Amino acid sequence: MKFSALNECRQTISDEDIVVAMKKIPGYLDITPSDFMEIYRVAYDHALHRLKHAITAEQIMTRQVITVPETTPLAEVVRLLADHDISGMPVIRPDRTIAGVISEKDFLSKMGGGKSPSFMHVILQCIAHTGCIAADVRDLTAADIMSSPAVNIPGTTPLFEVAEIMDRHNINRVPVIDAAGLLAGIVARSDLIQTMC
Amino acid sequence: MSSFFKKMKGGSQSPPGVGFSEIAWSWVGAFLGITPVALLQYNFFSDGDLVFLIGSFGASAVLIYGAVRSPLAQPRNLVGGHVISAVIGVAAWQVLGSAPWLAAAFAVATAIAAMHATKTLHPPGGATALIAVIGSEKIHSLGFLYVLFPVLTGVVIMLTVALFVNNIAGSRKYPEFWW
Repeated sequence: MKFSALNECRQTISDEDIVVAMKKIPGYLDITPSDFMEIYRVAYDHALHRLKHAITAEQIMTRQVITVPETTPLAEVVRLLADHDISGMPVIRPDRTIAGVISEKDFLSKMGGGKSPSFMHVILQCIAHTGCIAADVRDLTAADIMSSPAVNIPGTTPLFEVAEIMDRHNINRVPVIDAAGLLAGIVARSDLIQTMC
Repeated sequence: MSSFFKKMKGGSQSPPGVGFSEIAWSWVGAFLGITPVALLQYNFFSDGDLVFLIGSFGASAVLIYGAVRSPLAQPRNLVGGHVISAVIGVAAWQVLGSAPWLAAAFAVATAIAAMHATKTLHPPGGATALIAVIGSEKIHSLGFLYVLFPVLTGVVIMLTVALFVNNIAGSRKYPEFWW
C-alpha cells in the first residue's frame, strides 16, 4: 500500500504521449504540450488528494468485530481465530475499550519467533530444540501475550492514512474507535486491498 | 537574472500540425464567413457612409473558423470581446483624440484589460479598439454607432456562419460553450 508509487505514476506520461494525443484529436488545439503537462500535473495531484480523502476507515471497516475479554484462555483464542479464519482480533475490557490486539504474530513470538516472529522462525526453533514449545501457551490468557497498547484509529481516518499506519507499525489490522474511545469496528489489510483495486 | 534569460529559451515542444480536412474546413468557413460581410460593404452599401468590413474580422475568422475549440473563439469571447473593445476604442478616440498616440495605446491596453476582466478575451478585439482610433473619417464620424455598424453586425453574421459550417464538419463542434 505505497501511495508514493501513485505519485510517480504521473511522471510516466511523456511529452510524446501528449503530442500523440493532440494529433489524434481532430481540430486545432490552442495549447502547447507543456500547457497540457502543467494542467495534467495539477489535476493529477488534485485527484490524488481527493481520492486519498474520499474514503474513510468507517466506510470500509467491519462492524461485527470478533473480540475476546482479557481473561480468555489462549486455547479459546486459538479456536476463535481458527473458526473465523482470521489471524487476529482485539482484546477488550468489559466497557468495550481496547486492551490490546492478539494475533498470529503474538503466538509466534511467544513460541520462540523472537522479535520479528515468523512461522519459519518457529519451525527453526522446533528443529533446533528437538521439540516445540506450544505447551507454554496452554496456561496463559489473552492478556498475557497480546500486543498492548494497541494502535487504533478514529473512524474518520482517510484510507491512505490507514495504509500508512499499518505500514509504519507493521500490523495487519487496526481497530477503529468511536468518539467515546470504544471499539466501533476493525479494518484489515484485505479490506484496504478490496477497496483500492 | 540568469533565470530571466533562461525563460527566453522556450524549451517546450511545438504542437503538432493539423490534417488536410481541418485546413479545408478552415478555408471554407472563412470564405463563407467573410463573403456576406464583404458583400454588404462593396455591393449593397458601397455608396453610403456606412462601413461593414473592418480588419479585425479577418483575425476573428482565424479563430472561429481555424481554431474552433479555442476558448478565444467561443461566442462569449467573439461577441463580448468585439463589443467591449469597440466601446472602449470609440471612447478613447473621443476623449484622447487630440493625442492620437495616447488614444491608440490606451484603447488597445484598456480593451485587453476589459476583455480579461469580463472573461471575453478575443485577440481581434484589440484590433477593433485600435481601428476606432486609427480608422478613416468615416469611422470617426460614426461615433458609438461603430459598436453596431460595423462591429456587432459583422460579428453576428460571422457567428451565424460559424454555427452552420463548423457543425456540418463531422470532426468539428461549435461552440464549446455559449456563455
